[in-house]
Amino acid sequence: MSNKATLAKAKMLKPQTKQSFTTYIMVIAAFVIMMVLSSTGNVSSQIEGLLVPLCVYSILAVSLNLTVGILGELSLGQAGFMCVGAYASALFSIATNESITVAWIRFPLAILVGGICAAVFGILIGIPVLRLRGDYLAIVTLAFGEIIKNVFAALYVGIDSNGLHIALNQADMNLAEDGTEIIRGALGVKGVPQDSTFVIGFVLLMITLIISYNFINSRTGRAVKAIRDNAIAAESVGLNITKYKLITFALTAFLAGLAGALYSHNYATLQAAKFDYNMSILILVFVVLGGIGNIRGSVIAAIVLTLLPEVLRSINNYRMLIYSIVLIVMMICTSNEKARNLIISVFNWLKDQIIKLKNMIIKPKTKEVK
Amino acid sequence: MALLEVKNLGISFGGLRAVDEFSVSIEKGELYGLIGPNGAGKTTVFNMLTGVYKPSNGVIMLDGQNITGKSTIEINRAGIARTFQNIRLFKAMSVLDNVKVGLHNHYKYSTAEGVFRMPRFFFTEKEMDKKAMELLSVFELDSKADFLASNLPYGDQRKLEIARALATQPKLLLLDEPAAGMNPNETAELMNTIRFVRDNFDMTVLLIEHDMSLVSGICEKLSVLNFGQLLCEGNTFDVLKNPEVITAYLGD
Amino acid sequence: MGFLNNLINGISLGSIYAVIALGYTLVYGIAKMLNFAHGDIIMVGGYVIFYSMTSFQINPYISVLLAVIACTVLGIVIEKIAYKPLRQATSLSVLITAIGVSYFLQNSALLLFGEKPVNFTSVVNIPSISLFDGQIVITGETIVAIIISILIVVGLSLFIKKTKSGRAMLAVSEDKDAAQLMGININRTISLTFAIGAGLAAIAGALLCSAYPTLQNTTGAMPGIKAFVAAVFGGIGSVPGAMIGGILIGVIEILGRAYISPQLSDAIVFAVLILVLIVKPTGLLGKKIREKV
Repeated sequence: MSNKATLAKAKMLKPQTKQSFTTYIMVIAAFVIMMVLSSTGNVSSQIEGLLVPLCVYSILAVSLNLTVGILGELSLGQAGFMCVGAYASALFSIATNESITVAWIRFPLAILVGGICAAVFGILIGIPVLRLRGDYLAIVTLAFGEIIKNVFAALYVGIDSNGLHIALNQADMNLAEDGTEIIRGALGVKGVPQDSTFVIGFVLLMITLIISYNFINSRTGRAVKAIRDNAIAAESVGLNITKYKLITFALTAFLAGLAGALYSHNYATLQAAKFDYNMSILILVFVVLGGIGNIRGSVIAAIVLTLLPEVLRSINNYRMLIYSIVLIVMMICTSNEKARNLIISVFNWLKDQIIKLKNMIIKPKTKEVK
Repeated sequence: MALLEVKNLGISFGGLRAVDEFSVSIEKGELYGLIGPNGAGKTTVFNMLTGVYKPSNGVIMLDGQNITGKSTIEINRAGIARTFQNIRLFKAMSVLDNVKVGLHNHYKYSTAEGVFRMPRFFFTEKEMDKKAMELLSVFELDSKADFLASNLPYGDQRKLEIARALATQPKLLLLDEPAAGMNPNETAELMNTIRFVRDNFDMTVLLIEHDMSLVSGICEKLSVLNFGQLLCEGNTFDVLKNPEVITAYLGD
Repeated sequence: MGFLNNLINGISLGSIYAVIALGYTLVYGIAKMLNFAHGDIIMVGGYVIFYSMTSFQINPYISVLLAVIACTVLGIVIEKIAYKPLRQATSLSVLITAIGVSYFLQNSALLLFGEKPVNFTSVVNIPSISLFDGQIVITGETIVAIIISILIVVGLSLFIKKTKSGRAMLAVSEDKDAAQLMGININRTISLTFAIGAGLAAIAGALLCSAYPTLQNTTGAMPGIKAFVAAVFGGIGSVPGAMIGGILIGVIEILGRAYISPQLSDAIVFAVLILVLIVKPTGLLGKKIREKV
């Protein structure tokens, strides 16, 4: 029997390992191609400027997929966690700019600070909410995102010889002559060192992917998927639902915090208004379009949907409208057999028409049919 | 002392007394049946035994330990595992993974050890695979280990649920209508499996069932519930001859 | 006196939230779904009134009636096309669909009406009341908002208690399967719920745009979410709860804006939500739901 067992085990592990390694190879290949193109001067400055954001969005999509696809809960606060990571890492970098002058030591630390701060917020938000019905998590994460955005946009922080000053408007800070303002309300943070590079973005994306795949294919990930599939059965075999929900949620927040750090160190200024509800929805669109629960799909969707509007400027106005329709159609097709069959039959009909058209084109003297 | 000792168990939903003054005593190694017409409160008894519902009164003792009012998780850890009337598998997971979830609390390594692929991850996963395959082979599901649980035929799904429950290494196994939806051949096979489990795993089994061929075929003792109350109990042979039981089932 | 003025403004805004919250609470109670698009129907109602009053010079009250009809139809259509195919789906799929519908409405409005906000002319022509030599001013919009919201709560409570359709709604919210066995048409009841919710959203749109007279494609989004907070606060599924929750959220928002920080008023409202969910997840008047095993 043990012989049979090991045989079946070998068969079992294969698809999971294959899946993750295909993704790693795909991302590495894309990175190498971009590096080669870039070093030979074949990449336009427009695309060059998108390389770091592509990594940021991919990380965000992969991390949100852990909550949406693996845990099966909806979080609309991805931008909020990203915002925490962005601000925390930016403040760390500014504070240590003089003491740690080497960027390749300072920046990884800043990224870690961003991730950990976001994870702490994830746990704080998760504890009260994760024991409630799923819809509440969606609305609370949305609320959390708005709170974070509003608080950072209202916050004035400065430092002088008397120490740290925190206030809700500029005048109340009472900074001394020698003081410097760090956060200036809606104007945000100025002077963040621009440490982000495509190479660091790529490394972070790879780390995110490895963590995510390893998490999914581990004891904890299995428990999380079991809770997603049937919470009552999961409890009946002794799984602590809140604990595993919280772990997943904190991991999602941590990875979003990493992305936030990468994002904030890509630009000289950082404004809270960027991290709004629309950003969270955009990441959700990546996850849904890439396939809920499909990590590789999230990366592909994030890259394609970020590049496409840049390449095809004309669709930019209709972008969000198209996304909204895609969300609705995807959901109806995945959950409703009738709708799925309808779409399949439409596709088949189209295929037939194309074949007919081909036949018609081969014959002479036929008008093209639209 | 009996393995499961239930005294005066009762619960009300709103004004409705769903189960009242239910008592039962099950010895270690027994195959015990809980029968009764639809709506008699059998599944409610299961739900109280497993902590899904908190009983309004009564005491549940498992192996000398008071588990009344404990949470589902605590009760599973104390040693009760169950299956469900409407099958509750982890549908989007493989057959093997379903059983491995059952093994969760007995084979441990931390989340960090899993994420960073430390030696304990590989070691423990290997052990889990071995144990899970052993369990699956009992139910002749080992050849389907990498199927999605939802792709199994109905009878196999019921068997997988039992395998998953056994994986939690319980002292008492509760089966809620294990033969529902099975044809006579499958039921006969299931009877053999349940007996096998009892004999080879040292298991005590309490089952709810409507299929009288299964009940009379494998249960040694029966309790009959009617309108939330214990109608009678005793040896299967005696209980099934009891005119009160026949009336409850067939009406006047 | 400043405090009293703020309090009145809070109650006025809260009354509008209450009308929106009713839509959420009804739909959540009966279809068991969080209809994210509810807030955006307010915006649609606002635009219908705006164009009917400016482009067609139609009387304000008839414009509101037109908006109610248009939104009711829209509510039913949305339910039929987007939500009905998802009756058996997971709550995750339903939520994502609802977000899709919300985005669809917002972005359609963006393309149709442009991103520039329009100046909305109030549909209310009742004069303001001045008390204590003008120290306290109660606008006509405030009076109308409070009266309308009370009328709606009373009317809706009576409708649910006294009419056959209302009792059907109650039955479906208690137990869908049992209601179906009793011969209640589930699909019709859910459609009716969406229709009532959307009709109320149109009225809320008229009140909201009259009190805060700018209208753009995102006008309904934030009030919608805050009204959901109000519904949770009052206890989801409860009609009087929506009213109480609405007023409280309105007052908290206005007082927070006046005495703590104008930028933080939204954050304060959302912090209230999180607090409520920690302390009393069922809200002030809500009931606990038991899942069947």
